[in-house]
Amino acid sequence: MKNWIEVFSIVDFVSVGILLTAVALNGMRRLESSVKAYAVNSWLLSALIGIVAFMIGESHLYAASLVTFISKGVVIPIFLRKIVREMKVTHEVEPYISNALSLTISGLLVAIVYASLKEGIFITGFSRNVLQISLAVILIGLFTMITRRKAITQVIGLLFMENGLFLAGFSLTYGMPMIIELGVLFDMLMGIIILGIFAVQIKRAFASSDLDKLTILKG
Amino acid sequence: MITILLIPVVTAIICYLLKGHRLTGYVSMAGSLLLALASIPVIRDAFSSGISEAGLLYMDGLSAYIMSLVIFLGIASAIYSIHYIDHELHVGLIDKDGIRRYYGLFHLFVFTMLLVTVSNNLALMWIAIEATTIVSAVLIGLGYTKRPMAIEAAWKYIILCTVGITFALLGTFITYYASISVRGTEGILNWTELRKVAPGLNPSTMKLAFIFVLVGYGTKAGLAPLHNWLPDAHSEAPSPISALLSGILLNTAFYGIMRFLSIVEPSTGSLFTGNLLILFGLISTGISSVFILVQENYKRLLAYSSIEHMGIISLGTGIGGPFALYGALLHILNHSIAKPLMFFASGMIQAHYGSTRIDRVKGVLSRLPFLGTLTFLGALSLAGSPPFNIFISEFTIFKAGADKGLWPVVGAFLVFVVVVFYGILSGFSRILFGNSETETQGLRIEGSGAVLQRFVMFVMAAVVLILGIWIPDFIDSAIWSGVRSILGEGVR
Repeated sequence: MKNWIEVFSIVDFVSVGILLTAVALNGMRRLESSVKAYAVNSWLLSALIGIVAFMIGESHLYAASLVTFISKGVVIPIFLRKIVREMKVTHEVEPYISNALSLTISGLLVAIVYASLKEGIFITGFSRNVLQISLAVILIGLFTMITRRKAITQVIGLLFMENGLFLAGFSLTYGMPMIIELGVLFDMLMGIIILGIFAVQIKRAFASSDLDKLTILKG
Repeated sequence: MITILLIPVVTAIICYLLKGHRLTGYVSMAGSLLLALASIPVIRDAFSSGISEAGLLYMDGLSAYIMSLVIFLGIASAIYSIHYIDHELHVGLIDKDGIRRYYGLFHLFVFTMLLVTVSNNLALMWIAIEATTIVSAVLIGLGYTKRPMAIEAAWKYIILCTVGITFALLGTFITYYASISVRGTEGILNWTELRKVAPGLNPSTMKLAFIFVLVGYGTKAGLAPLHNWLPDAHSEAPSPISALLSGILLNTAFYGIMRFLSIVEPSTGSLFTGNLLILFGLISTGISSVFILVQENYKRLLAYSSIEHMGIISLGTGIGGPFALYGALLHILNHSIAKPLMFFASGMIQAHYGSTRIDRVKGVLSRLPFLGTLTFLGALSLAGSPPFNIFISEFTIFKAGADKGLWPVVGAFLVFVVVVFYGILSGFSRILFGNSETETQGLRIEGSGAVLQRFVMFVMAAVVLILGIWIPDFIDSAIWSGVRSILGEGVR
């Protein structure tokens, strides 16, 4: 079985899946599909942790995989979907740049990461590609945050960044001690809930979910 | 140490459950006083030698120093809040539920900041710093039903700080990774242990980690060019919360950078870290001096002044060496007394005049002599004029820089400081002097809350003045103890 994982390079397949869901985010207009993309991304992340746990036989990583699945793969997507429905905004209307262009740019970001990490100061245990992919996901998440107008899309960009960050941390160190992982996840969960509440409040106070309207405070 | 962490949590729960709003205010005050009493013996022990508990918690001079500031400002803000919240309720900016939430979150906020100062584990410290963001964002956006600006400010604050601090977590991961390659098996995150192996950590990995951490915690500490959230959050938050944000939250984030510094420096050498900190300090001071000149809102003016002072602290830390660090720590103390005093005063001015615009407020000194005098003293101190406390610490830092021969840096800073001096004094003299044409709303000044409010501001103004002339021995030895914990033992 362990042999089988290596022969078919399952780890690479799963991590490429993580990358592809992040890239696909840039081609999406419906907010609910972005939430789905995030859910799939988290499932793949949790699956990757589970597979590596099986490969190296670390039992505490199974728990990490499970916790990731529950919090990022189930709770946060359900919460986000509820917010999206409550706000009655279904589409990202007129992003700052077109979907085609942002797909191109996110492809370029991946290329840049691969080109700049070619030498590889980091030797990771289980795959050559995971660190590059995780940094690419972080950058794509950041890029999404800059180029989209809706409050919810910004939150989703932030979530993708954090998934990329978890992947990077995992590929560097095989995960942090369990108590730390739990603390980080708890913080994240609280942060997302509060962002969701504020997103609804923005919609109420400014009669729009576009962040362009937030221009009272400057200078 | 655990008791210290428990008291604010218990106070928060009690405050949230209580019904009467006056009573809640006094309970919250009692809670912070109790916290101070309980913490005195622990802090005194920590100043003489490091104490650790339960593996995850650790206190030494530096943590004790920042912790005592958190506790002191917690008391001051809790006392000030009583009358402030009373007034907000009176003018309808907050409702009864809002008050319960306010006091509950207030003490949770204090708890998260205390947790930052006592955590030995770098990741636990990250968790605590992120928790301060979340709790204070809710506090900033609390009045949202009436003021859309507050939501805007809170949104910007939480998004920018969370993205920023994500990079700090990456830096923490990289540090963990570097420690694995030293230790071979298990990585370590406890900074007491990391400091022992620090000289052996891979320098290029640690450089990368430090850049991420500096960007991450620097966002939270309000270092330019990552400061955009700060003026909005500070000007829109309720005044006691602005005081806490500016007086101590920025310092707790900077404390994170100082902790990393003592791990990174033995590996990379002090030139790399020092230059980065000096660069960020220069940019912060430069940008804020420009914005202070053109500011039309006195709360935003104070916020930009916070960025300037964080820049000076960053400069002092970057110059390095015992005397510059002494100056930086003294500056943290001075700034976190003078700035909250000014935010308290501006909260009262806002309550009287109903506006935070400089051109709508005139003649505070003639109309409200007590408040005007305190504001005047605070403004002089913030501008850095002798004989006030901030002058002493700025002078110490510049002297240390000049001794190291960093003339271009010190010269540039002097120019910015002069610009800020003019900006702050011209802004506040427009508020303080002249005759008021606008009618004041007339704050209700009866009640013990108002007396306490005046008392706490008077005490802070007195401290500002006294520290400019004479630094008491216990503060002196506390600062040296903090310097020792950044540099390692053997300094004086």
